[in-house]
This record gives sequence, C-alpha cells and structure tokens, in this order.
Amino acid sequence: MTTSTTLRASVLAVAAALLAACATSNDASSGGDGAAGVTGDSVKVGGVLTVTSATGYSTGGAELGAKARFARANAEGGVHGRKIEYIGAEDDGMTPDKGAAAARRLVQKEKVFAVLPVSAPQFGGAEFLEQQKVPWIGWATGPFWCGKASAFGFNGCLAPKPGQKTQTWWGNQVAAQLGGAKGRTFWLQATDSTASKYAIQTIGKSFTAAGFTEAGSSAALPSQAPPQDWSPYVNKIMKSAGGKAPDVVVSVMAGGKFNTGLYAALKKAGYKGLITDATSYDPKAIADPQARQALDGVYAAPQFEPYESDLPEVAKMKADVQAAGGASAVLDQHAAIGYWSADVFLKMLEKAGKDLTRDSFLKAAGTFSYENKGFGRIQFPAGKTESNGCGALVRLENGTFKVAQHLKCYDNTTL
Amino acid sequence: MTELLGYVLSGLVTGAIFALMASGLTLSYSATGVFNFAHGAVGFLAALLFFELTSGLGWPVWAAGPVTILGAAPALGYALHRLMFRGLATAGETAQIVATIGLAIALPALGLWTVDVLVETFGADLPKVTEGAAARGLGPRPVHSWHPFGGVGIDSDQLTTFALAVLAAGALWAVMRRTPLGLRMRATVDRRALATLRGVDADAASAQAWMLGTMLAGLAGVLAVPALGLDSGAFTVLMFASATAAVFGRLHSIPVTFAAGLALGVVQNLVAGYADFAEKVTGFRTAVPAILLFGGLLVLGRARGRAAGTIAEDAPPPDYLADLPRLRRALPWGLSVAALLVWTFTLGDDYWVGLVAQGLVLALIFCSFVVVTGIGGMVNLAQASFAALAALAAGLAFDKGLPFPLAVLIGVLAAVAAGILVALPALRLGGRILALATLALALLADQVLFQIDAFSNGTVGWKLPAFSLGVADTNDVRVRVVLLLALIGLVGLLIRNLERSASGRAILAVRSAPTAAPSVGISATRAKLTLFGLASGIAGLGGVLYATFNGQITATDLPALTGFVWLAVVVLQGVRRVGGAVLGGLVMALFPEVLDNVTDSPYVGTILFGLGGMILARHPDGVLAQLAERRYRRRKRRDRLAAAERAVSGTPEPARTHAGATETAAAKVGAAEGERAGSEAVLRLEGVVAGYGDVTVLRGVDLAVPAGSVVALLGANGAGKSTACAVAGGTLRPTAGRVLLDGRDVTARSAFQRARDGLYLAPEGRGVFPSLTVEDNLTVWLPSAADRRQVYERLPRLAERRGVPAGALSGGEQQILALAPALVRPPRVLVADEPSLGLAPLVVAQVFEMFGELRDRGVALLVVEEKASEVLALADTVAFMGNGRLSWTGPRAEVDEDRLTSAYLGLAASAPDPAPAAAGNAPEGEQ
Repeated sequence: MTTSTTLRASVLAVAAALLAACATSNDASSGGDGAAGVTGDSVKVGGVLTVTSATGYSTGGAELGAKARFARANAEGGVHGRKIEYIGAEDDGMTPDKGAAAARRLVQKEKVFAVLPVSAPQFGGAEFLEQQKVPWIGWATGPFWCGKASAFGFNGCLAPKPGQKTQTWWGNQVAAQLGGAKGRTFWLQATDSTASKYAIQTIGKSFTAAGFTEAGSSAALPSQAPPQDWSPYVNKIMKSAGGKAPDVVVSVMAGGKFNTGLYAALKKAGYKGLITDATSYDPKAIADPQARQALDGVYAAPQFEPYESDLPEVAKMKADVQAAGGASAVLDQHAAIGYWSADVFLKMLEKAGKDLTRDSFLKAAGTFSYENKGFGRIQFPAGKTESNGCGALVRLENGTFKVAQHLKCYDNTTL
Repeated sequence: MTELLGYVLSGLVTGAIFALMASGLTLSYSATGVFNFAHGAVGFLAALLFFELTSGLGWPVWAAGPVTILGAAPALGYALHRLMFRGLATAGETAQIVATIGLAIALPALGLWTVDVLVETFGADLPKVTEGAAARGLGPRPVHSWHPFGGVGIDSDQLTTFALAVLAAGALWAVMRRTPLGLRMRATVDRRALATLRGVDADAASAQAWMLGTMLAGLAGVLAVPALGLDSGAFTVLMFASATAAVFGRLHSIPVTFAAGLALGVVQNLVAGYADFAEKVTGFRTAVPAILLFGGLLVLGRARGRAAGTIAEDAPPPDYLADLPRLRRALPWGLSVAALLVWTFTLGDDYWVGLVAQGLVLALIFCSFVVVTGIGGMVNLAQASFAALAALAAGLAFDKGLPFPLAVLIGVLAAVAAGILVALPALRLGGRILALATLALALLADQVLFQIDAFSNGTVGWKLPAFSLGVADTNDVRVRVVLLLALIGLVGLLIRNLERSASGRAILAVRSAPTAAPSVGISATRAKLTLFGLASGIAGLGGVLYATFNGQITATDLPALTGFVWLAVVVLQGVRRVGGAVLGGLVMALFPEVLDNVTDSPYVGTILFGLGGMILARHPDGVLAQLAERRYRRRKRRDRLAAAERAVSGTPEPARTHAGATETAAAKVGAAEGERAGSEAVLRLEGVVAGYGDVTVLRGVDLAVPAGSVVALLGANGAGKSTACAVAGGTLRPTAGRVLLDGRDVTARSAFQRARDGLYLAPEGRGVFPSLTVEDNLTVWLPSAADRRQVYERLPRLAERRGVPAGALSGGEQQILALAPALVRPPRVLVADEPSLGLAPLVVAQVFEMFGELRDRGVALLVVEEKASEVLALADTVAFMGNGRLSWTGPRAEVDEDRLTSAYLGLAASAPDPAPAAAGNAPEGEQ
C-alpha cells in the first residue's frame, strides 16, 4: 500500500501512544448507588429470560412463577416492611448482545436493585452485572453462572471446572429407578458443539459415580438443526454395549426437536431400555401427538419437586401460580424455576436485614444456607462452584406426567 | 451392507429436500440473477402457514397442502417480485444480496408476529409457535413403516417426501423444457435483452420465475418441517446446505442441482455413519455442507471466473456533494460530534451514553464494510467472524499473560491474517460467488474454529478487562465515547487517504474493469489483498474493543448471522462513506431502545430491519446518498432560478458539469421538420435524443425506413449506430423525440411490445440464445411447429442441428439462425445491427440475400454497418452517422467515394453537398 507515509506514521504514532498509555485495570468500578431500587417500603427487581428464540425454546414461564411468589410475599407484608416491585422480565431472544443490553437497561435505566429471575442459556449480561455488583438470581445452566460474586443459581452451578464438585443426583436417581446401577450400561447423546461436549463430561460423571458403566457417547449430531435422518446415530447406540443396546440412554441435548427425533428413531429401531433427559418435563412438548408418542415412557429430570407431587410446598406453589396466572396458567418447568428463584431471593433479602444495600445483600447471600422441600437446598459459597445436588425423575405415561422419583439430594463428586 | 444401503436410502430422502430447495435457488438465480438468501425463510413461512392451517384450524392435509404450496407461496413470490425484486433487477449486487438477507430475517419474524397478533389482539384460537410445536408433514398419520430390505426401514413420511420431491422436480423440468412458459423463462435467463426483443415480457417471466421459486421453497418447507420443527434458524441452515447443491449445479442446471442435492444427503449420512475420526474435531460434521460449499466454490468458481467477475455492475452513484466546499461537507459531521461530546459530558446518563458507546463500537466495526464493500465493491459476509476471531485471539493472548496492548495487537493481526486468507479465494471469485464463499467461511469459523476449546476456552470464553488511558479507564462509558470517536476519525482519515492514494485508484480501477486493470499494470491481487487486510484489521480492532467493553468474549457472542444483519444495516445507511457506518452503528444500538417504547413484540424490530430491503430496492445507495441527492436537487433548482435571473440581467451562466441530457432538449426543432418527409415509412425516428446516464449519444436523429426498402446506416465506431438501434428496438428510452411504427407513436412501448407489433431487431453480435437449442431458439419467434418445419426445409443445415445448443454453432450458422425466423414470419421492420461482423464472405452473401428476399416481401429494413462495401450493394437509401447525428442521407446512387471518406473521417460538416435528404438532419442545437 502506498498511502502517504506521513499519515501512516501519524496513525501508528497515535496508536502506539494509545497502547502505551493504556494499562489494564481489573478493578471494577463500584456499582454506583449501592441502594439503587430500594426505598423504605419497596425493592425493585426485574428479570432476563429467553422468552422467544429462533428454535422456539422458551424459558418465558419463569415470569409467571416469579410473579406468583412475589405476590404471596407482598400479600404476607413483604420483607422487612418492603414490598417487591417486580417489573417483569426482558426477552434476550437467546442472543448474547440482547441479553447484555437487557441487563444494562434493567440496571441503568430501570434502576432495579437485583436482576431476577434470570434463565437464559446464552445470557450475555453476566460480566456487566458482575462489574456493577448487581445481584442476579435464577436457573444456573451455563458456565457464566459459576464463580461470580454477584450470581446466585437456586440450583448452584452446573458447570464446574475440573477438580471441582459435580452432581451425582441424576445417575443416582436413575439407579434408584432401575433398582441398582451395577452391571448396567448407559449411552450419552450430545450434539456437535463445545457446550454439548462439556455436558458429556459432567453428566457422564454423574452416572459413573452412581455405579453405571459407560457404553459410549456421541457428540456427532449437527448442532444447528436436527438431522432429518436419524439412522446413522441410532445404529451406533443400538450396538454400543458390546453389540447390544445400552440399558440407559441419556440425552444431554437441549431442544425438543432433537430429543423427540432421537426417541422416535430409537423406538423405531426397537430400543426397550430407559431414556432420560433434562428438558422433556414440559406440558407444551407433549401437546403434539407425534411428540407425545416419542416421549412416552421417557424419564425427565427436573431440579425441583414435580407438580404432580403431593408435598405441601408444591401444593402451595401450584396454588400461587394459578392465583397469579389464572386457572389456565401453564404449570411448566420454567414457572417452577421462576418461583424457586424468587423464593431464594426473598430468603436472602430476609437475611440481609433492614439496612438494604447491594453490598449488604451480597454479603448476606455470600454465606447462605437454605433448605426447602420444593427444590431441595442451596448453600453459598459452595453453590458458586457446584450443583446443589438435588433432582427428581418424572415419567410420561399415556400423556400424563407421573412422579417416578421424588426430589432427593445427593453428595457431589469430584469432576 | 444393509446398514450402508439404509444410509444411502434415507440419505436420498434428506437429499430430496436439499434438492428441492436447491432447485428453487437455482431457478430464481438463473431467472433473475438474484441469489435468494431468503429462500429458507420462504420455506419456513410456508411451513408455519401449513402448521396453523392443520394444527390450528384443523384443515385436512389435502386442503392445507395445496392452499399453502399452490396458493399462498406463489402469491408471496409475486408480492416479493413486485415490491422488491423488480426494483432490484438493475441495482448493484450488494443491494440485491442485502435485500434478500433482510428478507431472510424479516419473513420469519413477520410470520411469527402475525400469529402473535392474531392470537393476542384478535383472540384467534391458533397455536403459538413454541418449542415442540411440531408440524406434521404431508404424509399420512399415523406413520407406517416398512422393512423391504431386511434391516432397512422406510416409513411413509420418507416415502411421501421423496415421491413429492421427485414429482416436483420432474414437473419443474417439464415446465421448463416443454412449455412456452418455460421457454420464455429460459430465454429470459439466457439473454434477457434479446428475449425482450423477441417479444418476451421479461418482467412477467421474472415474476413467474419468482412464483415458481417460492412454490418450490414452500413445498420443501412443508416437507422438511416434520424433521426440522418450526425453527426458522434450522430453515436458514437448510438453505445454506442447499446452496451447496445449487453451487454444484453451477446455479444453472436444475437436473445437476437436483442430483447434487440427493448426493449431499447421502454424503452427510455416510459421514455421520462412518467418519468416526471426525468426532475428534468438534463441529466437523455440522460443517460438512459448509466445507463442501467452500470447496465447490473454489473449484467451480474458477471455471466460471470470467463470468463471475461482475463487481463492475456496482457503478458508484454521482457524488452529489462534489460541488460543495470541503468545510461545508464536513460541517454537519463536525457539529454532530461536538454536540455529542457536549451531551456526553453534561446531560447524558450512564445508560444512554453507554448505548452510544455501544453504537460507536459497532460503527468502528462497520467502517470495515466501507473499505471492503463501499470501496472494494466486494460483499463480505464474514465480518462478524473477523471481529470475533480478533477478540478471541486477544483474549487468549491476554490470558496467557501477555500485556494488554500486545494482546490487542495480536488480535488485530489475527484478523488481518484471516482477512488475507479469505481474500485469496476472492482473487478469483467475484460478486455473488465471493459472497457465498465468505458465507461458507463464516459458518466454518462458527462451527469449527470457534469450537476449538484451546482457542475459545469452551463456552466460558475469555475475560478482557477494561484498560486505562492514563487519566481514566474504559469502565467509564464517557471515556469509551471519546476513544471511539478518535478511532473512527482516524479510520475515516485512513479511508479517505486510501481512496485518494495510488492504491485507492488502483482499487477503483480493478473494481470497474477487473479485466482491463492488469493490462495497465495494476495488480488486482495486491489491491484486493490490501482491502481485505485493512478491513479485517478494522473489524478486528472493533471486535477487541467490543469484547473489552463487554468484559468478555465467548464463541457465541458474535455469531455469523450477526454479520449479515450488520451488513444490512450499513448498506441501508450507505456503505460508501464512513458517515453511513457511524449512522448504522448508532441505529443498531439505539433503535431497539426506541422501539421498546412502542411495542413489546421482539419481532417488530426485526421486521423493520428486513423491510429496509424494500427501501433499498428504490434507493440502492442508502439513506445518506438519498438525502444528499435530495439536497443536490434542491440546490440545482435554486441555481437554475438564480441563473434565470442572471440571464435576464445579462450575466452569462457559468458552465456546470452536471448539465444533464435533460437540458439538451435541442432536437425539438428537428422533429417538426421530419413531419413532411417519408410519411409512408414503417419505422420512423423523430428528433431522437438518447444516451446513457449523463452521456448523450444521439443528439437529434431523424430517420425513416419505408416498407419494401433497405436503409443502410453507416458510420465510424462510436458514432451512435447501435444506440439508434436500441432506441428503435425499445431497449433504450430516448430522452427526447419519438419513435413511430406504422405511424403510431411507440416511444412509450417497451421492447417486447414492439416486437409483438412486428419489429424484429437482430442485435450486434449474434442474436441467438446460446444455451437454448436451435429448435428452442426458433420456437421463441415461431411457436407453430409448421413454421419451424418451413425453416428446416429452407435451411437443412439447421435441421441437422436442431438439438444442438445455439452457442455451439459456428458464427455464420448463428447469424443465419438469428435471422431465419424472420423469413418464415416476416416482421414489419427488421433492424440488423452489424449483421456481417466477423462472418465469412460466403455467409455475408447469404445473409444479404435473405435481406433482399425480405425487402421484396415488403419488409422495411434498417441495416447498420461499419464496413460499407457489401451493404451498399443492397441499400436503397444510405444514411451516414457521426457524432450522434445523421450527417448525410440520400439515395444509394448519390453515394460516391468522396462522400464515404468524408463521412468516416468526420468531415461531413464541411462536405460540399447540403442536399436535403429523405430524413433531414436536425439543425445544430447548441444555444
């Protein structure tokens, strides 16, 4: 390039000066007003959810759950005399930049005290909230939840680093369902992406820790869209346990299309073993007859006591959600997640005391322990790096969900 | 063995859907020249409609299927043609690509929004699209399965899909090959201009092609939905995969495309079934179509390298601000920046200043589009990947303990290196092919490169801390704004300098004439590498800053699709100037916030972004250029008023560079004079003034061609002969004057209508459709088989070769073929532009013999020649043309050597003979 050398030189000089002048500063600027969103009689909160997304995946139900829990709290007089002013949830559309924008809007424009419920698989606002020291609470799924001072998953952290603790409840619950894991094999099915491959490690550990033998795993499915033809993938599974089918097939794939496609193909190939996944406990997923057929007999693994349970905590939750959303309210996994996230937040508020600032809240929540039969237990700081260790199994039988294993907490193991 | 057979069989079913999609892509590309990125979105929309009709309204499949595929889909195609593609047919390809990308984003959102509105506002009892909202396909319910070959299973859904796809492809082939509709479309595809000259309404043919294309997309969508679900992203992925098949069919041959689609399905299955080694490389299997797409483009793109170098279609618009002083041009921007700074440090709160900073980061990244697309004329869909690559590289370097400035530098250099790597294929590929190649690379980056744990640190990503600038650090949004304004200013200077430098001129030269540039010693290679390197560097710097301000970068922060949206936003504002980039960045950051006050729906913003494509169809150079043009017009009007006043007061009008053709209404005088002469002429040009853009070629031409006579139009190269033919044929509309056919004013009638009125124009070169067979070529003008038989009887040579593509004939045979239909169905007028060019003397004699025969049958002939010798023997009247005027017209007998010489040497004005002619030339029109 033969642009004028003087200009080039000057550009370089300025660039060099900029680079020389800049030294990194890791100190996060203070979160500004530490008592933002707090008045004498109210605390303002709002959430970020993946309400819409290209795949149709939606955690939007959490909005109703949180609303229901806050309505009960406000009816009971609030926390330390403060009512919860819940301004609803922003939609991140499952894109990181929208999530980041939503977090900024809530904090800087709406001036909320805390962000909840947060349930977004690709939430992009994590670093911003951490930097601003704004507490955020919700369903911890991705690694961005883990190890942050400001982040609190009601279920802990599902993405531990090697050497940290990982959950065993899923494997143990399936073992309990089968009457023991000894001599039984499992297959792990993931999609062809980093996130999915990571899940193979943690979930695989859960099942081996429970005593299962791994027959194999595959992360071969194209991650962007389900294949139109499942036969190459199913053939592998059917021969994985020494030429036979494995006893358990665990799907760590998110996305109803992937799971129903796989299960339908497995059944077509004559698979008779146990199938389990983390996402199928969803009344919307079984609305379609085709999908209902595919999901029949599948064990879904929610991290809370299922709606079908007769525990008083669950009955109260159902009543609250139905009171907030009307009789037609959809009782899905996300409503429960929103409900229990709000519940944990209320407990933390209670612990933080009357003089509420973000600092006092973070201090109170940083060492925190709470048990509730609805979702088990949560402890911080342990929950910053490991799962709360609790889960249940629900089975779809002829179009209705049945509790297969009640919520139970197990000890975590080292990854 | 049964396993392999199973993979192949079920792969064929998947492949059938690829094949259908790809056939639609190929059809619309070849019929309209637009590579339709929205093809998948149309499929999604059809699937959505089908889902709502069946699951929502409970319609049976036999009703919902046809309504969707045969009713709604073509209606959508027609609407798109009318609203967008018709306007885009002549726009540059950047505008075309961006418009279809906009549609790809907007159409699904439009569909989902409509459902939302119907349900929430009107209380319709329709299912909303949530995950698991599985639409059924066209197959019967419940699904039946068979096991015809031992372990291999086939179910009724697969069978239905395959059968319908093959049927549709067969029907498409039959329509294209066996019907007049298909012939018209193929002729339009092959040579659009010639097709109009043969009476084909190319616009209608395009509309039909779009309707057919959307029908295919609709069918593919409905067939694919049981497997894909109602996931618009999955449909876009399907479209990308199908693009691979279309590329293997060279975007031209539907049978090859179809076969390639089937093969792609099988290959995908085989890779899934057998390529276990691939499991180590995360993303490899996902990326199979993208890898094949890129490979296919490299291999096949080279073969069509000559045709593909089409960036010259993007002619730059006039600089409407050229006549303004430099300070005045910079003034609005200077004022805006000053106002922005004042606001930033006084009124603006953290939130809004933060949004502006976000917009400015995007603006910095968008500046890279100004370099590569605005200046270089190349469409790069991988820009988001460059930004992400730079940020990830910088994050990795910083994590490894390198100092921050060095990490930034490494990030930028990584982007530059990637840019140069991408530019390597760009050296050979032009236009849409390049856009597709960058698309493939962007997908590969997402699917493979960013999936490497060591590079992107899994799903965690890298942290990039705020950095200090001595006095303050970038945690303060105000610091960000100042820093970014400074950087954008620097980049702006760099870009201006680049445009004015020798390399900038070299780049422009390469852009407007890729083939010619090397012949004057300009290295296209260097120019393109420079552009791509620089652009990626800018995008990389922007990416690193983007990540720094967010505090982190993960592999999914800047997905490939983001790059598409970015391009759309910048092009909409104006991609040729930094101002457009800045505006685009701010719009991108602030628009959602503004919209948030209006609606809660996440779809409305997307729809509006997408509809930008429709604005683009009218103003392909973006909003900024549009504003500049409007101001320019206003200024001109003012100037004219002022000039009129000065004229009254006796001041001479200063010369203006922009004195357009419109102002040269000189020839009006001549038109009146033409009235009296040759009133029985079949074809008459009266006072025709015509040209291209600001260049006037014909400056008042009057010409009459009577029935049963031959008028020879002679003149040197560049005299305006072919322009006269174009005006006569209707492919060029005159700015003044009239064209009369049989005494009827046909000036306003388009070329195909004039052809139907009986005007037959044999254009310069060969007037044949090279990829159509001889038989097809004849059929365009002679639909009746009996007529064609007559041709074959007269010209047995053509009969022998009736199944051969016309392009394979010799030059003489092609010329005979071009004129043969006129012998059987004589037109009223035949205009032949240089019919003897490049032909052997024997063939020339045969051609002129045909002309003689036509004259004897009463046809009016206008024969344009540069070489006078042969045509003089035939002509009844001779007209000399020079400098856009007829310098002499008279009977053949009066032409002698002197006159010939003076005509060709441009001495006509001083020729001794001012004899009035059959068609007098216009008096000089200069005022």
